[in-house]
Amino acid sequence: MRSVYVIGAGMTRFGRSEWPLVDLAAAASLAALHHANLGKVPVNAVVVANMGAGRINRQTAIASALVDRLSLWPAAAEAVENGPASGASAVKVGYQAIASGMADVVLVTGVEMMRAVDGLEATDFVASLSQPEAEYIYGVTLPSLAGLFARLYMDRYGVERKHLALVAIKNHDNAMKNPYAHIHQPITMEGILTSPEAVVNNPPVAEPLHMFDCCPVSDGAAAVVLASEEVAAKLGAARVAIAGIGQATDTHAVHERQDPTDLKAVRLASAAAFDKAGLKPSDIDVAELHDAFTILEIAESEAAGFFKVGQAHKAIERGETKLTGKLPINPSGGLKAKGHPVGATGVAQLVELTWQLRGEATGRQVAKAKAAYACNFGGFGNNVVATVLRKEER
Amino acid sequence: MSEKVYAFRCTACGLVSYPKHAVCPKCRGETFEPVEIAGEGAVLTYTDVYALAIDYDTRYLRLAIVELDGGLRVTGQLLDESPKVGKRVRTTIGVVREPAGKPIYGLQFVPA
Repeated sequence: MRSVYVIGAGMTRFGRSEWPLVDLAAAASLAALHHANLGKVPVNAVVVANMGAGRINRQTAIASALVDRLSLWPAAAEAVENGPASGASAVKVGYQAIASGMADVVLVTGVEMMRAVDGLEATDFVASLSQPEAEYIYGVTLPSLAGLFARLYMDRYGVERKHLALVAIKNHDNAMKNPYAHIHQPITMEGILTSPEAVVNNPPVAEPLHMFDCCPVSDGAAAVVLASEEVAAKLGAARVAIAGIGQATDTHAVHERQDPTDLKAVRLASAAAFDKAGLKPSDIDVAELHDAFTILEIAESEAAGFFKVGQAHKAIERGETKLTGKLPINPSGGLKAKGHPVGATGVAQLVELTWQLRGEATGRQVAKAKAAYACNFGGFGNNVVATVLRKEER
Repeated sequence: MSEKVYAFRCTACGLVSYPKHAVCPKCRGETFEPVEIAGEGAVLTYTDVYALAIDYDTRYLRLAIVELDGGLRVTGQLLDESPKVGKRVRTTIGVVREPAGKPIYGLQFVPA
């Protein structure tokens, strides 16, 4: 297998898009292509990550549409739909194309326009990834699966709402330093948990989870340009290598898992990614986790191997996951505050980490970051893609 | 629309699983017989969800995962004014969703 490098990364600000779907995707793509500074080197293939355009935007075959908008013919093009893990899955497809020798340069663009529909429809569109006859028909939505999970997890490990709030406060703080984040709103423990007004400010969404435990509904796009070692060297690009990708699946219905608090697919995908990279969790300098709900940042950080099971909330209390801590988690603001346009998220995580490894994350740069990890969590943990990036010295 | 909910017993190894798999997760057998899901169990976890999907006009839904006696776990709607983890409940069948006025029947849990 050939080595694969991320040679360009770009995104749109997440939030509400004024542009149509394909223009949104094109804006992120152009940012990544400009960043890669390809010159006359052709893009051989375009992979688009998207979960719901066929339903919520009534547009299909959007990879073909993006190639056309970017005048990249005759580049190969396909879309990847893998629920909320579409982004990292699409990067994996691009990685495979280059590693196998089928392509030298691949543009991977994730895009989602969820605010094109009302909140009920957006929630239902995402809920339709749940098990149809054993979950969805009962009114199961992603927040409800997170609520069921959170109650079990918090009871077992002594995690309290204040720990969830610490995750939200940290990620909102980080997002204040990220011009691409959807939410620019500093929050406090008093405002969302301990003051009398907190009951009004932070209503329940899926008990024990409240509004400030949940990501917003966002539009947005993110893109990376991947290249072979030969092309990366020829362009003199910064050496950010995709050191390892791991992926694992788990049962569709959450109730069918032997221990529903065990994020087995995160564990297996992460172990595979670390193994391929030849790195350990303790080698990682910065991580982007899939905090669609605050409880997931805690549980994923343990399943990935950064903390022992049941210990992450204590590390959070000690500030270890802040920008200034031992292992900064979600310097971008995470899904919680950067936003979660589902198909774009997995790509956006790698955009942030690429910038971090290149020293370009102005205002939120993690010092001397050499190795980075991302967890893109599909379904409710039934399809997870973990990615390890590493900066190589030239 | 069926007013019963079924789990599936593998005719080779006897494992009862729910929901349906075309291949037994334990022995990879491919033939199953339906087993009606009914009886008592305990609440494993529950939530009151206010972020609802389409087809509901209530303020919130109370959902639970229940572990039935015998070990099978099921997800459904919890009809209990004072829910608690570990509380004994029994299954009943009711309308759990009504898209376009067409009722869908499914599992609900009431105090045992």
